[in-house]
Amino acid sequence: MRGGSQPLAVALAAVWAVVYLVTQVLVHPPLGMLATLAIGVVLSTAVVLGYPSALRGPRVSRLGSPRPPDPRGVRSGLAIADAGRSMPLRSGLTPDAARRTAELIRPLLGGDAIAITDTVQVLAFVGHGADHHRVGGALQTKVSRKAIDKGRTVVVHGRDDIGCPEPGCPLQTAVVAPLAIGERVVGALKVYRVHDEPAPRVLVEDMASMLSLHLELAEMDRERHLAADARLDALRAQINPHFLFNVLNTIASKARTDPEEARQLLLRLSDFFRYAVRQDGHFAEFAQEYFFVRTYLSLEQARYGDRLRVRYDIDPQVLTTRVPVLTIQPLVENAVKHGIADKVSGGTIRLRARVDPLTRTTSIRVSDDGVGMPPEVLARLTAGERPGGAEERDRHGGVGLWNISQRLSTLFGERYSLDVESDPGHGTTVDLRIPLR
Amino acid sequence: MDDGVDGRDTPAEVDATFRTLRRVAVGYFVVFLVAIVGFPLLAITLDWWSASRLVGGMSPGFLMAAFGLYAFFALIGIAAASLSSAVEARMLGGPGPSGDALDDADAAP
Repeated sequence: MRGGSQPLAVALAAVWAVVYLVTQVLVHPPLGMLATLAIGVVLSTAVVLGYPSALRGPRVSRLGSPRPPDPRGVRSGLAIADAGRSMPLRSGLTPDAARRTAELIRPLLGGDAIAITDTVQVLAFVGHGADHHRVGGALQTKVSRKAIDKGRTVVVHGRDDIGCPEPGCPLQTAVVAPLAIGERVVGALKVYRVHDEPAPRVLVEDMASMLSLHLELAEMDRERHLAADARLDALRAQINPHFLFNVLNTIASKARTDPEEARQLLLRLSDFFRYAVRQDGHFAEFAQEYFFVRTYLSLEQARYGDRLRVRYDIDPQVLTTRVPVLTIQPLVENAVKHGIADKVSGGTIRLRARVDPLTRTTSIRVSDDGVGMPPEVLARLTAGERPGGAEERDRHGGVGLWNISQRLSTLFGERYSLDVESDPGHGTTVDLRIPLR
Repeated sequence: MDDGVDGRDTPAEVDATFRTLRRVAVGYFVVFLVAIVGFPLLAITLDWWSASRLVGGMSPGFLMAAFGLYAFFALIGIAAASLSSAVEARMLGGPGPSGDALDDADAAP
């Protein structure tokens, strides 16, 4: 269950418990069933509708994902499917993940000792021989090197074949299977026993395949996050230098005639760039994004004067929700640059933000009554095509929209919508719906 | 002239804050009204409300009139006030707590 829904579920359960106690247990005679249900439904509806209204105070950073459960508490009879679902290696081949994985799979493989290595060093060693098979040390056994170099499973039946330099090492047999991401071997899973019969080779190979799959998924996750970070960086870098020149020119022109306004504009410009470069992570409170948008618009208003009018329509419930960073400002910038700037009489930009508590979605609409865009450009944008030439990018701001769409897709998958409607000569409306966080 | 570094809010921002606060006030007034109208409605339509005994021989209606309504008024007043001040803090002025933290980080040697 998502973090935001859990308190709501608890509140609803508490409401029904109180209703039951007050109408059925503590009172004499008890209230009729129909009336009790009606009271419960009314109160539940009130709680569901009112829940997002309660501003939940300053949020703590949610950058870190919840820690996976400690596998040390897992029983020895754990099914392999359960182990697969909670596999710590899903977060990558790190010493901590390797140790927890080794502890988790040791009872499943029937080994007296389990080791997980990368191609250079031992990441985890659990069981007999842990006193001299040091974690963090270089690979000691020849058998590990052989499995990693050849990329195939090696079974060893004698103590000498293991190749451990420690004379008193109790390990007698070993099955070593390589861990691979695609074709690239990144480590090895080693199952040792202190008696003559090695662990079943098929079982070890299957487990190594499963671990490799998790490592592959971890790699894909990492690449996905890197791509999302790169898109965010690209958006930051896309802050138009022309915008900076224009604002500085505006400030310079006001420095003589209205020094106080020039000072205010400088402060706003400072706030604008500070926010743009200092945002960590992919989400921010809507109130902060709103601050970024109004800072931007106040700078543009200083330039355009009465030609640029702004109307905000903000639901109180939306202020504490978390939205993707640098998502709303590019939409507003597009409205200014491509909607209002080209219209001689200017126009009004409207920012409307709402929360739907029942569908648990945040809805943000940026609209303008500017020049709109031709149907063929709109068709290309809504088809999700990346704009081609620099001229087109500059004229229609398609990269910003495309970038936002790609980032939203990474963050929410299919659970968002970004709709653009435009009527040439009458303006453009961009509607964004994202899950409530 | 103001010597501080506080920025001014634009008319559009103040207007937006006013409309949002008005929405908060209207929302809470509706809740208040529903509770006030609901009290006599329950007394008229539901015999159980006046005839049953809940705690210490008192009926739910009596308990509500004696204690519940006051608690409700206090609760709704506190909720409306805290929501309004939180809305104002978030819709006007600087970027809020995290922005202040950034300023502090800038000031550190």
